[in-house]
Amino acid sequence: MLVLTRKLGETIAIDDDIKIVVVSIKGRQVRLGIDAPRKTKIHREEVYLAIQEQNKAASESSPDSVKSIAKLTSAS
Amino acid sequence: MVETTRFGSISVAEDDILTFPEGMLGFSKIHEYALIERVDDPLFIWLQAVKKASVAFPLLEPQIFETGYQVELTEEDREILTLASLQHAKVFSIITIPSDPTKMTANLKAPIVINLKKRLARQVILHAADYPIRKAIYAGLQQHCAARHQAVFNETEATAYHAVHLADELEATA
Repeated sequence: MLVLTRKLGETIAIDDDIKIVVVSIKGRQVRLGIDAPRKTKIHREEVYLAIQEQNKAASESSPDSVKSIAKLTSAS
Repeated sequence: MVETTRFGSISVAEDDILTFPEGMLGFSKIHEYALIERVDDPLFIWLQAVKKASVAFPLLEPQIFETGYQVELTEEDREILTLASLQHAKVFSIITIPSDPTKMTANLKAPIVINLKKRLARQVILHAADYPIRKAIYAGLQQHCAARHQAVFNETEATAYHAVHLADELEATA
């Protein structure tokens, strides 16, 4: 992984069309501004990963796993 | 014919196949899906991969358990879906049904949006609203079904599934 040191307000350029600027630094938090073409997908990694993980879990759902509950709900 | 591990062989017309240009998150190589529902109990709809029998996602309409659910498309969403407004679109939440189905959850953060006219779909991410990725919905779903005198899960053993006709869904939005 390429590691660069940047100061507040300084920028990193990726290709010709992506810029990442350090907007503020407060204790352990860094705010980054990102300028990129609209097609570029930008997410906080944990959101992206959580959705992927949830999709995987959802794709393992089975209509059979709901049969027992059908009996429960109809009995009540 | 679409082969599925859950529902057997289902006949799906060309017109009823949805294209996800980018796939679903974590399933980027699967682009074609069909909507499958139970003939006698169309509460759950399944998003079934056309060429991968084992991949299917249960879907519900989010209005069932989340009143006032707001889907705001980004410019990118609109471009990919070629969709100006949600008028002729269909929005579904992806449901996770674990082995204990009372613990089922809905993903409100990243719903499926379908352009019914163009048969294009995308899993969008709602950035503005703070919707959960895992919302427990079983109690809400029970209430909804009780109000409509419908079972959450029908217990009949003989189950038949068929493909949802997109043209019918489009007509329902008109």
